[in-house]
Amino acid sequence: MISWIAPLQPLLLGLVLLWSARLKLLSPHAAAAAGRSALARLVGEGRALPAYRLVGGVEAALGLVLLAPPAVPAEALASAALSLGFAGYLAYARLAAPDSSCGCLSATRTPVRWRSFARTGGLLAASLLALPASASWFDVLRTRPLPAVALLLAEVAVLVALSPELDRHWLDPLRQLKVRLTRPLPAGGFEVPLDSTVEQLHRSPVWRETAALLTSDLREHWDDDEWRILIFTARHAGQEASAVYAVPRQRYQPAAVRVVLVDEPTGRVLLSLQSPPDAPEPDWVRASPATAAAY
Amino acid sequence: MNGGTEMTETIDRRRLLTSAVVGSAALAGATALGSLAPEAAFAAGDQAVEPGAPDPNFAEGRITGISAGMLFVTGSDLALWRIRITGGTSIWKLRPTTFDQVTVGDGLYARGLRLPDGTLAADSVWVNIVNVHAHIAAIGRNVLHLDHKGKRIVGHLVPGTSAARYNNTPAVADMSLLRVGKHVQVIGAWVPDTNEVEIATVYAAA
Amino acid sequence: MAALTGTMSWFCCGNSWGPCGTAGHGACGTCNSGSYQHAWPNASAACFNITRPDTCGVSMTRRGCGFRHYTTNRCNGKRIGTTIADCGPQTDLWCGERACCGSVCGTNRIVDLTPAAYSQIASLSSGLQPCSVDTV
Repeated sequence: MISWIAPLQPLLLGLVLLWSARLKLLSPHAAAAAGRSALARLVGEGRALPAYRLVGGVEAALGLVLLAPPAVPAEALASAALSLGFAGYLAYARLAAPDSSCGCLSATRTPVRWRSFARTGGLLAASLLALPASASWFDVLRTRPLPAVALLLAEVAVLVALSPELDRHWLDPLRQLKVRLTRPLPAGGFEVPLDSTVEQLHRSPVWRETAALLTSDLREHWDDDEWRILIFTARHAGQEASAVYAVPRQRYQPAAVRVVLVDEPTGRVLLSLQSPPDAPEPDWVRASPATAAAY
Repeated sequence: MNGGTEMTETIDRRRLLTSAVVGSAALAGATALGSLAPEAAFAAGDQAVEPGAPDPNFAEGRITGISAGMLFVTGSDLALWRIRITGGTSIWKLRPTTFDQVTVGDGLYARGLRLPDGTLAADSVWVNIVNVHAHIAAIGRNVLHLDHKGKRIVGHLVPGTSAARYNNTPAVADMSLLRVGKHVQVIGAWVPDTNEVEIATVYAAA
Repeated sequence: MAALTGTMSWFCCGNSWGPCGTAGHGACGTCNSGSYQHAWPNASAACFNITRPDTCGVSMTRRGCGFRHYTTNRCNGKRIGTTIADCGPQTDLWCGERACCGSVCGTNRIVDLTPAAYSQIASLSSGLQPCSVDTV
């Protein structure tokens, strides 16, 4: 049985290595991927891209040699050595730069986790399996096309399943399809979330006039007919007071927001504000003319 | 004081404050009463704490004890804090809430004024608040499974409270536009000693 | 020099509880939630490769650990000085996103403050606010 399985492994390894090399050598995102990978930490930022390309070159060369007949054990050994090297790199990345990306099979940001190690283990196993190969993969494909193709597809499927960077091509769409069919998330009700009211408050002219007086976050809130009342603590003219905002509950009309500052122990209203006075806007609300360019 | 009296007082107080703010509807137009001191409207002021330095008026840690109006907190750097809660203190725990909802074991951030005896008189307390950036790995019934720096966080949607902001839209209760694989920012309340959070707001780059 | 406008959020770092517990002391090794510090998207070349503000059309100067920025909350005018202690926010994931107060809007995430710094000029329960960032 091993007699036909072993010669197929160089084909699998060759294809995987060429795929991997493609990103490192040809992709327009190679520089960014190199910068995000743990290589930047390992060899320094300046040398990350050349090192990345070098790895790609080695992968491409070995991939081509593996694909080209004849099958020699040295190729399988080289492939095993490369897999071990990858495993070492992954371990380094996990320990020294856990936030970095793998930079393995795609430019997608992929932190190193158990699947990356399992995939490298799979490649190592395939390399070892290829050691006794004597025939060429081409002959096996010709003599046993069905089992050979089935085995290769199964191996590719395992490698894809172990590649987090490929999830967005198959796993995410599958999960999204399930979401579309089962609709597990609420589509909203008639109740206006508090967050929506707070956002309307932030959009109001009255908020911009009074927000600097506030010393606390939102303390309390309740609904009263068409209004939602929001209470904050404020400091005004050296006195602590409650800032009582009324925000339209069911409609979006930030200009209608009004506020009173109340001294709660006495019930005295210190300030009442409905729409902004005609004062010019303070400096900090104006957008700078040359924002991005000058910076 | 029994619960009934307390509730009546709350209702009376709320009625009073409500009428103070919406009862004056006849006075449409500009500022009706009082004035904003200019220095109050622009409260920049000089910064007492050097950039880069720890802020003595800010506390962080886990609650180890609670007594009347006081939270005892052990900072993650093992500093010990006494945090005084007053009627003017805001308390957030998934939503604006009250002192009795705070429990031992909760994490918190608090801002206030450090008194000479070391107590922090709190203006605002945020209990168990987290702000995580993650991507949605999967979606279940009222649940977002989040991938956060290689670790899984289970985000529970709380009907009536959780809101979503899709890029430039106002906050809405409609969560159905969230997509598997997309990046989100979640403001939520951590459930202590688990990898679960209850979601207050989810920001999605739609 | 003109200020850079955009939006700000907050992040935790240093010893902490909850999901923050594993955050570490940031790219500069000095970051603590209780200190006046911030994350900057162009704190180094490696950092820039991750955050890529240029993909949103935002160009920002490279500034290293310890550099002082002054961030103004454009909702209330409150301002705070902080030093760079980490890399972030990840601007390119949020291109075009806005946050507004009144008619004032900020577009694109340009700075993340520590909880101590953010809570001095905004509420932690608000995850995103329009801001401007200066060097003086």
